[in-house]
Amino acid sequence: MSKASFVIRRVLQLGVTFWAVGTVLFLLFRLMPGDPTSFVVSSQMTPEARQQIIDSFGLNDPLHVQYIAFLQNALTLDFGQSFHSNEPVRSVIWTYLPNTLVLMLTAFVIAYILGITLGVFTGWYRGTNFEKTTVVTALTARSVPTFYVGLIVLWIFGAGLGVIPMSGTGTSGMEGSWWSRIFTTTFLHHLVAPAAVLAFYYMGYPLLIMRSSMMEVLSQDFIDVCRAKGLSERTIMFKHAARNAMLPILTAAAIALGYAVGGSVLIETVFGWPGIGREMVRAVLRRDFPVAQGTFMVLAATIIILNFVADLLYGYLDPRVTYD
Amino acid sequence: MPRERITGRREFLNKAAATSGIVGLTAAAGCLGDDGDDPGDDDDDGGADVDADDELGEQLPEYTFLNNAQSYNPPRHDAVNLIADQFEELGLDMDVEVLEWGTLFNRVDVEYDYDFSLWHTFFTVDPVLELNSTMHSSNTGEGDGNFSGYENPEADDLMDQYLAEPDDETRIELVHDLQRILMDDLPQMPAVDMPYLAVYNNEKVDNWESDLAMGFNSYWTMINLEMLDGEDTLTGYWPEALDTMNPLGHNDENKHSYNFELIYDSVIRVDNEGEFDTDVSLATDFERVDETTMEYTIRDHTFHDGEDLTVEDVAFSYNYIVENEVPLYSVQANFIEEAEVVDDETVRIHMPEDNPLGPFNLLVGTQIPILPEHHWADRDTPSEASVDEPVGSGPLQFDYWDQGAELGLARFDDHFAPVDFEERVWRIIPEASTVWEGLREGDITYETFGRIDRQLDENQDLDQITVLTEPATSFWHCTPNGRIDGLDDPEVRKAAFNAIPRTPITEQILFGVADPGFNVVTEAFGPLHTEDVTTYEEGVDVGIERLRDAGYVYDEDGMVHFPPE
Repeated sequence: MSKASFVIRRVLQLGVTFWAVGTVLFLLFRLMPGDPTSFVVSSQMTPEARQQIIDSFGLNDPLHVQYIAFLQNALTLDFGQSFHSNEPVRSVIWTYLPNTLVLMLTAFVIAYILGITLGVFTGWYRGTNFEKTTVVTALTARSVPTFYVGLIVLWIFGAGLGVIPMSGTGTSGMEGSWWSRIFTTTFLHHLVAPAAVLAFYYMGYPLLIMRSSMMEVLSQDFIDVCRAKGLSERTIMFKHAARNAMLPILTAAAIALGYAVGGSVLIETVFGWPGIGREMVRAVLRRDFPVAQGTFMVLAATIIILNFVADLLYGYLDPRVTYD
Repeated sequence: MPRERITGRREFLNKAAATSGIVGLTAAAGCLGDDGDDPGDDDDDGGADVDADDELGEQLPEYTFLNNAQSYNPPRHDAVNLIADQFEELGLDMDVEVLEWGTLFNRVDVEYDYDFSLWHTFFTVDPVLELNSTMHSSNTGEGDGNFSGYENPEADDLMDQYLAEPDDETRIELVHDLQRILMDDLPQMPAVDMPYLAVYNNEKVDNWESDLAMGFNSYWTMINLEMLDGEDTLTGYWPEALDTMNPLGHNDENKHSYNFELIYDSVIRVDNEGEFDTDVSLATDFERVDETTMEYTIRDHTFHDGEDLTVEDVAFSYNYIVENEVPLYSVQANFIEEAEVVDDETVRIHMPEDNPLGPFNLLVGTQIPILPEHHWADRDTPSEASVDEPVGSGPLQFDYWDQGAELGLARFDDHFAPVDFEERVWRIIPEASTVWEGLREGDITYETFGRIDRQLDENQDLDQITVLTEPATSFWHCTPNGRIDGLDDPEVRKAAFNAIPRTPITEQILFGVADPGFNVVTEAFGPLHTEDVTTYEEGVDVGIERLRDAGYVYDEDGMVHFPPE
């Protein structure tokens, strides 16, 4: 199979995957017990008013009618209006997603730079105390819940030492657009703690993969050849071993990044970070179907697309990979 | 052990001996071989008073107590588990089902698919308006509000009379009678009286006065606060983001009401004694012209955008809400026929001839926000309108809304009842420990949400923290489903109320901040409340005795059976 055929086939699969995810989401939320209007109505509303709200949500239409409308709207990336705020879901996503992306990407970049670097060293210095300490740290980072680490960090550095803000993305009444604010020192100051906690958690994954990959590469003959050629240890480590060991990291990173976007709920809660994860959970709990569907679709799309990118990247980076 | 039951058992044994019936003796042996686990087994003669099988009615069915998740509301979750344990002690076969809040609410309030439920109910400005929804026989249809299934024509009549009665004194008598009936029939058990809570940093702000409907988050509270030490920002918080800035499009949750109450004026306001106070109201005078007409004299005032607030705006607001069938004000709309401009400063609100409302000022006048006609006239579906920057005439005006992060309201200097602070900021902070750190340091001025938890208990004695409580109009109700066998009997409900450990709940789970409940109309309602109602002693033993007096019988496992046929 040619590369072009492979890409076309994967694109078609993408379409099917999106349809399947959308359908599951649609059904899932409608199968959930509980009346979405119970969160929208006031206890003092009359039954007629409650009915009026149900009608306005379109929840009285037959399921297949709702489904067709959902698919039609989804094709144009229109997920409807929030039951609670009456804002278009696109607008809700646009409000919260950028905050999550900034936090996630910052943490991700830090985690992968540190994780890969430490992974290279632990693979290289196998059997030393350094390796043992680093591996234990990495396993600990992956094992301890992020919210717990977050609370400890807040307690020590926020409440105790007062060097980090306790909550939010900025100080009261910060002016300017979102773009102008994220480059202020205030925003960066608020970003440090949640990003560090997340980076600590994410770091373990690339570190352990890189270490394994390094050990595999270091056992190959070409490393001996490099040594025989008289290359320096540093050159062998970074230029030859690390580069060859990088492939699993790149593909794993693409997938992990997708999950990271949706996996920030606890950190967003602990640090009062107004992100999409928190909003997604709130939408589910309050039966705000449009927002829940929209946010889940965004997260699913991130994972699906990054998987697709990983597939393509793999073939591009490793000429040995065929498309059969 | 109730003496009459001992006698009853002896009578039974005598009867069994006389007849020498094998079955009877076997049953008696089982009875005498009591393992001590039975309810009321607290003296030498104790043990469940077990009669022959043919003297036991059917066992009461298993009851499911719906509980919210621990993470949603920890104290309530713990309280439900405790109550269910006590109901087991009472001899009821209990199961606790933990549900996510939306599902729980739907099961109870819409589907009536439950046996016992418990949550925090908020009566706003008048108790009967709420009771009419939850207790009136006409509302027992699915989703209509009367989830307990309570039906009593006498109570219906009292509520109907009350809502149509313009005379205060007569209304007080009516609502007192209603309370007596409700506490006799006990369709709803007031388990805990929840207080209004003011928790604040006393180095920053002082003079907290609560009002009846909104406690320490009210209009009255805000216009009376005194900032200290040059502080000019009142900083509060809420654990979750606000949904909307549309005063007609929210769901009446406190997080919205507490803000719109300050952004928009209503024609009349109440003070902390529950009296109408024209000094702080848009109306400088009001009069009930006849049974179906209220007249208000409106003061010279402006909206936040500088436009004059006129009587036309007042009339527009009332007519607009009625004509557009705004769901949020659907109850109030039932009592509004039309608003009419009389002259430059007078507006009349006409009620329907067949549905006049006695406490119109309280239930409608204090509730309807006065909207600027020039902003709203062109909106066809006001409850669905997207409002980014609300324009009202209240003491606080919209400054900024960083959705999901913060809301800023600035002082409206031209208001007739100005606040003492320059800005009120609400930050969105989900984590309680962060809030408390802010309170201790003064970064947060007051605990807006009113969380009662361990951190409150641990911090309330700090020098810079002051905690005030006032009786509130809200309480935790434990409501049995009166449609279910056994729970349709007031004696079972009363025994269950006896068994609810109200004092341990308030002292242990709620850290002594709340009080045990004893009436569905709390003392916060002042003269509307009466203490002349049937009260119920706490204790499982009291409940057991009550059930036995009512003819219910215990088997050897300590489970309650219906009286024999």
